Amino acid sequence: MNKPDESTLISYLYGELDAKEMQKVSDYLVRNPELMQQLEQWSTVRNTLTHVEDKEVIAPPIFTDGPNHLSRFWQSGYFKTVMSIAATFLLLLVAARLIGPEINYSKGELRISFNGETPTTKEVVEVPSVLTPTEVQGMIDVSLSNNNDLLSAAWNSNNEKIQASLKNNLASNSAKIDELMKVASQASQDQVRTFVAGLQEDNLRLMKDYLQLSAKDQKVYVESLLVDFSKYLQEQRKQDLMLFQTRMSSIEKNSDQFKQETELILASIISNPESTLKKVNNY
Amino acid sequence: MAGTLLEIAMMHSDALITRAREGDKNAQGKLVQLWYKRIYNFAYKFFFDHDLAMEAAQKTFISMYRNIESLQEVSRFRSWLYTIAVNYCREEIRKKKAGRSVSLHDLNPGEREESYLWEASSGRRENPERQFRQAELSDLLQQCMMELSDEQREVVIMKEYEGLKFREIAEALQISENTVKSRMYYGLDGLKKILERKNITKETIGYE
Repeated sequence: MNKPDESTLISYLYGELDAKEMQKVSDYLVRNPELMQQLEQWSTVRNTLTHVEDKEVIAPPIFTDGPNHLSRFWQSGYFKTVMSIAATFLLLLVAARLIGPEINYSKGELRISFNGETPTTKEVVEVPSVLTPTEVQGMIDVSLSNNNDLLSAAWNSNNEKIQASLKNNLASNSAKIDELMKVASQASQDQVRTFVAGLQEDNLRLMKDYLQLSAKDQKVYVESLLVDFSKYLQEQRKQDLMLFQTRMSSIEKNSDQFKQETELILASIISNPESTLKKVNNY
Repeated sequence: MAGTLLEIAMMHSDALITRAREGDKNAQGKLVQLWYKRIYNFAYKFFFDHDLAMEAAQKTFISMYRNIESLQEVSRFRSWLYTIAVNYCREEIRKKKAGRSVSLHDLNPGEREESYLWEASSGRRENPERQFRQAELSDLLQQCMMELSDEQREVVIMKEYEGLKFREIAEALQISENTVKSRMYYGLDGLKKILERKNITKETIGYE
């Protein structure tokens, strides 16, 4: 027999070969101690692995919703929702039936009543059902014209009252002014005379004072003017005199200088007549 | 194999499965009671995580309730149930990887887990048997299995702990029997190396 392959060796190890194959492998192993040793090592490993203990565990309750294909249509969520709504309506209807309501609908009027009591119908005043726009416009116009009339009447009455009061005021005022004018005209002549006399006296007094004051002032002024003018004249005379003196002194100085120069010229001419002649000739 | 009353009942539950398939809620409930522990432990060994195992187990049985009527043959109930369980386990693994969720064990390792790491790396390796109380050994072996790939791990668990035949495993995983055996071969070989690396030997375990 050839060397058994991995698969055969493993099957041999776990005893999953038939008897014939087992014998063949056993024979081969007797002749091949290396392979026998390998198998023994594996057996040791297997023995060692037996020391791993199982953990104790309690199966928890497992709840499932069962296979999906078994679910019936009444188990579906939609059906349950619809049914719950329907049940609610049914409950409401039953409750309503027990209470005994009556629901009437007539002439656009919905009436709900309970306990079988017929609702007391109130007489409804018949109202013209529809108003046409022209009627509405007419009503508006009428009310507006009424309003205008009322306003104009009120305005007229107010106006008359104001005019009457104005007339009264004017009449009373003019009478008062006439009286004042009469009083003023009567009293004016004496008052004017006294006033004018007072004015003349005042004017005369003022003129006198003015003239007196002005005469004094003029006198003082003219005096001072004369004094000032005499001072001015004296000053002017002094200045002229000083000027004259200075002029005179300058003339004297000039004449002296001219005299000296002339003397020098004459002296030079006298001392050197030839050169002087040359110069004169050159000129 | 059928060591306990529960296992005997599981092996002879054809009538129950038939009734459950016909829509008998009571029978379906009994099937859950019979199989819940097995499916939970399969998932627990696959994830090494209680919460994920509970999640997968509950989803498996909810799916069983909904789909048992589509079960063709009563004799294939076991592989059919494991097919559902494996699919949910794979789904949870995908979610875990996609969500990059981190186990609380990874974030803040508990004392027990720390002790494994310590044992694996410290001088206690020379004499590990003193540490191997049974529960701890169990968890340590679980950790060793977590080092296998998902495909090898599910085959090893189904064969070693759930007692499925290779044919049933092939049916459950919808692959060929040869592929199942190949995964088993490499799974055992891998475990042997992992156990050697962790110094878990027949002698060290035999101390207990």
